[in-house]
Amino acid sequence: MYRKQVRRRRAVLVALLVVSLILISISFSEAQSGPLHTMQRGIASVLSPLEEGAERALKPARDLVSWFDETFDARGENEELRDEVAELRSQLADAQSAVGENEQLREQLEVRQTAALGGFEPVTGRVIGRSPTVWYSTVTIDKGTSAGIRVNDPVVAADGLAGRITQTTPNTAQVTLITDSESSVTARVLPDGATGVVEPNIGDPTDLQLDFLERGSDIGEGQMVVTAGFSTGDLGSIFPPGIPIGEITQATLEEQQAYQRVHLDAFADLRDMNFVRVLTEAGGGSR
Amino acid sequence: MIFTPTIIARLVALGLVAAVAQVTCFAKMDVFGASPDFALLVVISLGLLGGSLTGAVAGFSIGLLIDCLLLQTLGAFALTMLTVGYVAGRYRENIGAPRRWAVLILGGALTLLGAVVIAAVQIGTGVDADVSFLVVRDAVVKSLIGAVLAVPVLLLVRLVVRPALIDERRASRRRPVAPRTAETQ
Repeated sequence: MYRKQVRRRRAVLVALLVVSLILISISFSEAQSGPLHTMQRGIASVLSPLEEGAERALKPARDLVSWFDETFDARGENEELRDEVAELRSQLADAQSAVGENEQLREQLEVRQTAALGGFEPVTGRVIGRSPTVWYSTVTIDKGTSAGIRVNDPVVAADGLAGRITQTTPNTAQVTLITDSESSVTARVLPDGATGVVEPNIGDPTDLQLDFLERGSDIGEGQMVVTAGFSTGDLGSIFPPGIPIGEITQATLEEQQAYQRVHLDAFADLRDMNFVRVLTEAGGGSR
Repeated sequence: MIFTPTIIARLVALGLVAAVAQVTCFAKMDVFGASPDFALLVVISLGLLGGSLTGAVAGFSIGLLIDCLLLQTLGAFALTMLTVGYVAGRYRENIGAPRRWAVLILGGALTLLGAVVIAAVQIGTGVDADVSFLVVRDAVVKSLIGAVLAVPVLLLVRLVVRPALIDERRASRRRPVAPRTAETQ
């Protein structure tokens, strides 16, 4: 009797292990339109109202935990912010004079004011789910294909680029953040214009890397990085140009020469986003 | 564990709540740079209360549900939670029902095991980016949070599946009968 139980236990365990490995294997090899992905999206779609309800209902508990953590962090940040305020005051004075000059130059050159995100219709989505591990940097939002969202639509947070849409259901969509291992964004450093590719450093959401920089580019800390939005023939970046990504935090000459790399911190608070904007194509054209 | 239709319904509800709460609430919490693994702790508790088969099946089901909810690689969390649930169950079968201090250690150690398995799955399937040393810190912080939350989560899960627990039934049978009072006599 005992042996029979042990045999049954082992058989179930082996079966579940094999099923898990088969699912992982198929998940990688199958196209997004395949039956397994369709079933996955179906389950996600059915459970999305429950997710939305739970997200709202459990928000007070989440906020309470965040409040404790933020209070703890705030003590350390206070000193840093004092220094930053002093620095920003001096920058403000420079900026105010630059604004005046800019206005005059605009009038002289009759520069047409073109919106960087022209041609896109932003759809605001609430973040209802998040991956529980650092290996996947994805969030789920409460808007899907019924709101006009498509795969590869760029996603921006309040302060800058957040990521892109990688999967959709009628009512939800998966956003792969720029800190995910599968993410890479062509970017430009301002004001020099040096270009590179922003890639993540898994496990450290505050450290992005700007790789494949052109040799000889002179990049310093504090410079802003924006999306490059290149286009070569039929091949083009899915991100429109000019979306702020982050600020250079570490740019050593050695690393630039040896690895053609600098480090940056994302403007968007990717760990604590409640709402994002998905930039859908205005005409609903395919990407 | 004794499985009746009511208990199975309770287990399904518990799994659903654990998966949804993990994705919508616990994963969004930030405690010293990491988030609590509530669903994994539920799986550990089910393994410790019901044995390896219960732990493995519960782990696989809850993990698969999380994979579906997040539209991620199907099977990755299922494999991770299946492994953790099975190990928790084997502890129960070989050593017996754990004491509170043992639950604390098991909660931490098995959460760490979960982090190792998911890392192995990711590295095994190929990672296209640099991996920071901070993944180790994340795993350690997660396991410390796991240790702290293990006892309350076990008590919560025990409350849900109490009628199915063989130990609880034995204990209730052994409970002494109250002496009759003069009025009832």
